[in-house]
This record gives sequence, C-alpha cells and structure tokens, in this order.
Amino acid sequence: MTPALRALGAWCYRRAENILAAMLAAMFVAFIIQIVFRYLLNLPIGWTQEVTVIMWIWLVLWGAAFVLRESEEVRFDIFYASASPRVRRTMCIVTAIALVVLYGISLPAVVDYVAFMKVESSAYLKIRFDLLFSIYVVFAIAALVRYIWLCWQAVWSRPAAVPGMTKAGSDE
Amino acid sequence: MSLASPFSISVVVITALALLGLPIGHAMIAGSVLYLLMTGQDLGTVAEQFLNGMYTNYIILSVPLFVLAAELMNVGTMTDRLLRFCNAIVGRFRGGLAHVNILQSIIFAGMSGSAIADAAGTGKMMQTMMTKDGKYPPSFAAALTAATAVIGPIIPPSIPMIIYALVSDASIGYLFLGGVIPGLLMALAQMALVIGSAKRRGFPVELATPLRDLPRITWQAFPALMMPVVLLGGIYSGIMTPTEAAAAAAGYALVISIAVYRSVSPRSLYASLLSSARTSASIGMLIGGALVFNYVVTVENIPQEVRGLLTSFALSPTGFLLLVNAILLVLGCVLEGTAILLIVVPVFIPTAQTLGIDMVHFGVMVVVNIMLGLVTPPYGLLLFVMTGITGVPLRDIVRDIVPFLVAMIAALAIITFVPDTVLWLPRLFGYEG
Repeated sequence: MTPALRALGAWCYRRAENILAAMLAAMFVAFIIQIVFRYLLNLPIGWTQEVTVIMWIWLVLWGAAFVLRESEEVRFDIFYASASPRVRRTMCIVTAIALVVLYGISLPAVVDYVAFMKVESSAYLKIRFDLLFSIYVVFAIAALVRYIWLCWQAVWSRPAAVPGMTKAGSDE
Repeated sequence: MSLASPFSISVVVITALALLGLPIGHAMIAGSVLYLLMTGQDLGTVAEQFLNGMYTNYIILSVPLFVLAAELMNVGTMTDRLLRFCNAIVGRFRGGLAHVNILQSIIFAGMSGSAIADAAGTGKMMQTMMTKDGKYPPSFAAALTAATAVIGPIIPPSIPMIIYALVSDASIGYLFLGGVIPGLLMALAQMALVIGSAKRRGFPVELATPLRDLPRITWQAFPALMMPVVLLGGIYSGIMTPTEAAAAAAGYALVISIAVYRSVSPRSLYASLLSSARTSASIGMLIGGALVFNYVVTVENIPQEVRGLLTSFALSPTGFLLLVNAILLVLGCVLEGTAILLIVVPVFIPTAQTLGIDMVHFGVMVVVNIMLGLVTPPYGLLLFVMTGITGVPLRDIVRDIVPFLVAMIAALAIITFVPDTVLWLPRLFGYEG
C-alpha cells in the first residue's frame, strides 16, 4: 500500500470511530430526553425509545463492520495465541474461508429479507424497516471483504506476518 | 438426536470455528447459516433473527449505558476520592490497604456493572498504592484486585444479570436485590483471608486518618457515594425502568465529574464514549450471534430435550444445582462468561423450572459461578487484565489467587445450598418466589 492510501485509510478509520462514538452519544441523549419528558414534564414520548433501539443496532453492526479489530471481538483465543505462526496462518485461512463461504451463500437471502422489510415502517418515526435494517447488509459485506483480505494476507505473506495476539480477548 | 443431524453438525462447526479463533459472534452466525442450508430453510432468517431480536429485546440497551457509566466514573477524580474515603475507614487495620481494596470494590460494584471495568478502573491505582515501598508483594496485590473485582457484577448493577434476565425472563430488580447478600458474603470471605495472611506475612498498617478529618473526606466522596443510591433507588421505587436507570447513572456520573469534580475534558469524554462504544459493539455482536443461534436451538427443541434427559436421571434439585455448578465451573475455565450465559445457561432453564428451582436464586448462583470463571486459570480474563495492568507474570498471580478462589467457591456452595442467602432480600421487597 502506498503511504497516501494508508493515510486515507487511517483518516477513514478515525471518521468511522467518530460515528461510532456519536451513535452511543445519541443513544444516551435520547434516553435522557425520555427521562426528562416522562418524569419531569409528565409527557411520555415514544420516539426516543425508537431512536435508542435503532442506534443500538447500528452501533453494534457499524462497530463490528468498520471499527472493531479482531483482537477486540469476544473470541476464544487460547489456541490461536499459543500456536506457532505457521499453524496460526492455517487457522486464519480455514476460518476465513468458512466465513466467506457461509456469509457469501446467505448474502442474497439476507438482501432479500432486508428489501422485503420495506412493507413495514417503524411505529413513531415512520422510517421504513428496509432502511433501518440495511446496516446488516453493510455489515455482512464488510465482513466478507475483511475476511477475504485476511485470507489473502495469510496466504501470500510470510507466516510471521500473520497478526498475532498479545492479549487474550477483550470484552466485558 | 443422531450425530450426523444438521444440528449436531452445526454445533461442531461453530465449536471448531471458535476454537480456531473466529470471533464467537461470527462463528454462531456462520454455523446457523450452515444449519439453515442443511434443513432447507430461508437463509435470510439469520438477518431476521439478529435484527428482530435486537429490536425487540429492549432490556439489552442497558448494557452500553452501564458500560458508559463505568467509563465515566473511571475518568474523573471520583476514584481518588473514593479510595481516600475507604482508606480513612479501614486503612487503620493490619493489612489496611488490602481491606481498602475490598471495600472499594463493594462501593464500585454499586456503580458499574462490569468486573473488567472495576479491575481496569481502580486496579492500577490500587496496585501502585499497595506495592509502593514494597508494602505488599506485587503478585498478592494483583491477585487481590482480581478477586475483589469479581464482587462487582454480583452486587448490583450487573451486566451479567441483565443478560441472564434476557434469557430467563426473571425480573432484573429482584435479581439485583438477590445479589446483594451473596456479594457481601464473598467480600467477608476475602476480608477473613486478608486478616489471616496479614498476620502471617506481616502486612503493614496505614497511618490512621484522624477522625476529625473523616467528615471532610466523606463529604468529598459524597456525590460519588450517592451514585448507587440514585441508581438503585430509581429502580426499586419503580420510578424508572432498569434501562432508564442505567442512562440516569451515566448522566449522574457525567454531571458530577463535570460540575462537582471538574475533572472531565472534552477529549477524555470522547475517549470514554468511544471506548464504551467499542466494548458495547463487541458484547452486542456476541448477543446478536447468540440470538441467531438461539433460533436454531429453539427449532430443535434442545432445552426440552435436556429437561427430558436430566429428569430421566431423577436428579434431585440439589443434585441438579451441583451438576450445573460443576459444568459451569469447568466451562468457565475455558469460555468467556457472556457466551456461557447466552448459550449454555438457557439450556438448563426449563429443567430448573421443572424441578421447582427459583429463577432468581438460579440466576444469582449462575452469575456468581460465571464470575469465578473470570479468575480461574487458564482462561481467566481478569487475570489477563491484571497481568496487562501490572506486568506481574500470570503464574505468580495464579499462585496468590488460589486461596481466594477456594474461599469464593465455599461462598458459592453456601449460595447454592441456602437459597435464603439470595432470596431473603428480594422477598423483603415483595418478591413472591
């Protein structure tokens, strides 16, 4: 990769992070609005509940698609972390191929499902569900691209270059 | 159920992919696609289950908010003030700082829902305080911090209990109450151990804080000490849903850090938002994957089959609880807690109901058990966190945590066999179980 491309990638990554943080902030603010309206002003409102739940779905899938690194996802890595670079490369290739094949086969049906959801809209904000749920398609495609890339790297790079794990897992 | 059934093949594939290092959420989605493919069902079901499950399970929304609340607590100077307060109270006894460590986890447990956040938040500070001037062996300090962090999710609020409520439909309010006494019981067990080692290993006494300073120190820590009151008061008075209470807790933490303690900059606020969002996305992926795979488990009627199998052994309730504890303790050595709660625990729930075991008692027991998994080698996440924070080799932390582990398993046994330790407090608040 050329330095310019790398810089562009890093720039995009930071913007993806900005959006992720903004989604959590939006969730938080919507909840505060909900509490204020219901308990202080005695005016229950429904749209905040919708905003929070939509932001939650988008936060998870956006985060998984563009922000989380492999090492940040909840995974079982005792074997991966202790394997030799050569074995690790094989593990990486096997899991990547399995994911690409299974996500790839299901992608058309997933797109169909999301497109079909255009018949319904959300209760308060009247947003069509195909738009709300489109993030799943984005997530599935991003996962496909990421694992094709990981597989490609594992096949063509020297074994030592396969990303290792310095710490085990990252979760709550 | 034959070995070559679509269900068993998909379970084998999920397990294999997870063991090979694929994130567990992805592994469960991929394995479910395989199941749908083999049984000739619509492959779009994976998206449907993921999205509808996330859309309708409103209760999960409290997870990101509790994570955020814990992050915000850790940014400010709130931690320092609380530690000073704990030191003023128990620092004067032999092994004072070790007792401070335990007391601060009880207080922090009332604010954050996550053991990892508790250890990461105050762990480094406790470690520095305890090892300064060679007061305590670093490995003992690290082991103690890991052990005390376990109390966090047992005393409310608790992210694992929210996840258990999601899979069992038990009331979060009563689950939270049920955790209070078991949490304190475990803290007492730890304090007893510290008293023992303090004598034997000659741990130091802290300079006693003059009693006339106590009101000032308490006053400085007061807004932070009020946090659990705001949070739990909101839930138990029925004013707020647990999810709203989580948002209120985050809001309260933000307001007192900015307005009272003046310790939050825009930059650190962004950093906490981003870090909480990352953690939440990673938990969310696991929950989403479990929602998809749960569809497969439900279609296959697995929990009912397990119930049939276990009742055919004519297990007594006690025998069943022992069995579940043993299985979970073993799984906890190798698997991550949230994954166990989402995938393994639901399988036992119908059996527990048939045997007349109370769902709140069962839930608290399961959560205590899973929290012990966080400090059991080889795959104890808290042990990794402490190695990461302190640089003490894992081997040394493990050696020093064994006595704590034994004491906590004894506490787990009491919680298992004396349901009243869990249920007494919820019943006092009107729980009819």
